[in-house]
Amino acid sequence: MANLQVEICGVKFKNPVIAASGTFGFGREYNLLYDISVLGGVSTKGTTLEARSGNPTPRIAEGSSVILNSVGLQNPGVEHFIKYDLPFLKSKGIVVIANVAGKTLGDYGNICSRLDGLVDMIELNISCPNVHAGGMALGVRPQNIFEVTKLAKSNLAKTPLIVKLSPNVESIAANAKAAEDGGADCISLINTLTGMVIDIERRRPVLANNTGGVSGAGIKPIAVKMVYDAAHAVKIPVIGMGGITSGEDAIEFMMAGARAVQVGTANFSDGNAMPKIIAGVNAWLDSHNINDVNEIVDTLTLN
Amino acid sequence: MKDLLATVKSNKKIAENIYMMTLVLPESVGQMHGGQFVNLSTGNGAHLLRRPLGVCMCEGDEVSVCYQVKGKGTKYLTEVEAGRKLQVLLPLGNWFDLDGCKNVAVIGGGVGIFPLVATIREHFQTKNFYSYIGFRNIDAVCLYNELAKSKKLTITTDDGSYGEKGNAVGAYLRDAANINPDIIISCGPPVMLRVLKQKLKEAGITTPCFVSLEERMGCGMGACLVCVCKTASGENARVCRDGPVFDINEVQL
Repeated sequence: MANLQVEICGVKFKNPVIAASGTFGFGREYNLLYDISVLGGVSTKGTTLEARSGNPTPRIAEGSSVILNSVGLQNPGVEHFIKYDLPFLKSKGIVVIANVAGKTLGDYGNICSRLDGLVDMIELNISCPNVHAGGMALGVRPQNIFEVTKLAKSNLAKTPLIVKLSPNVESIAANAKAAEDGGADCISLINTLTGMVIDIERRRPVLANNTGGVSGAGIKPIAVKMVYDAAHAVKIPVIGMGGITSGEDAIEFMMAGARAVQVGTANFSDGNAMPKIIAGVNAWLDSHNINDVNEIVDTLTLN
Repeated sequence: MKDLLATVKSNKKIAENIYMMTLVLPESVGQMHGGQFVNLSTGNGAHLLRRPLGVCMCEGDEVSVCYQVKGKGTKYLTEVEAGRKLQVLLPLGNWFDLDGCKNVAVIGGGVGIFPLVATIREHFQTKNFYSYIGFRNIDAVCLYNELAKSKKLTITTDDGSYGEKGNAVGAYLRDAANINPDIIISCGPPVMLRVLKQKLKEAGITTPCFVSLEERMGCGMGACLVCVCKTASGENARVCRDGPVFDINEVQL
């Protein structure tokens, strides 16, 4: 049994496998399948100041080795989260990462201020269209990323800040640097790519929202490359994600520079995906006589 | 709720484009009820989503589900042979609760009949089922012997090629006053459920009515908020976890 414990921004994770935002709710449902205290952490469903009802259905579609979703940040609002979901997650003894989003720059500041000191980490979701950025996602241009990060950070005295980066950008390295310059303590990536699936019989997109976020095993090579690029552009720690379905996949991201990983879509394919991935990481380390998972981080040699 | 590696016992065509797959579970998950469903892997690694399929029969460690061939996933499922192992999450969702009811009207259409068959099988020895089942045509008719466990069975087809020409909702409304059931349970295409709701209202029928809904799903257990429907008050309800069975007056159809 290798050491699986990792530490990011002073926060200790019992292992480097974290539930990705949006696929895991606030953990209650998966806890009926297995005790989620085995996880490294949970990044919550994207939470906003007020409750949101999300997009029309269908909200999910499938491509080859990928899925698309357009849930649209349905969530019960931050006060509901604090009152009902946070105590449950805390009782599990795992790292609680609040994934937060807003409509305006000010929303990001306010929700960070509300959650400061209450959760272990805050993960900024800057991929949703924002009026201040002319309807463009705040996470596209380096200048916008810098500003929203700086504002969020100025509202946080205690809780470390993760900025979650969108892959639908010109330069992931420049955006990672912008987050670091804005004061981010950590970055996570990748959020979903954008895509469309068409029902050719109806000549319409399958998703009611027409387009959605692409995730799942099929995007993994794109994600690994972006994690590598981002990790080598900044000094702050990186959490990697995108199509991880096995322990070997998690190892791959860590070799590319990630200190921990998040798992999303794999939970849909297999309810027990995350405990299996944790076991898989350990098995790989054991079979290679590596006694600490931290030893594999950023150990890639380019050809 | 368990995620189990089940063995396919059989997988056969039972009507035009409709298949029944029987799975043998490695351990018991207790009695499953009509309305509940399973989230079944197709066994093809390129299909990251499982397929939510209503339970049609459940006996001991065997569960049978039926599916219509609609896309690549269900097409692939038709080729799965006996002996193959598939991952399945179950039991999921709520069910048609018939506690305290003696006379039950059943209104089903097309692939919506499977949860109704499970309900009839579970209770036919103690309750009277008056079933009105609509199919497109004679090629779509299936599970007659199961449906025939009803005290009275009326089958309709759109083109009159089997049973009465017409639809299940119309046939029920004609007989509703004579049956005067304690409850109506229904499952079928969205348009059928909409018509049912409207016609019950127009006819002033106040019999409690419960419908099972279908929606594209992600996790199947209520975490991902993909498969929502709108309640009468405009809130979101999760079809997989708050349903799939809802009071017809409490959901927007």
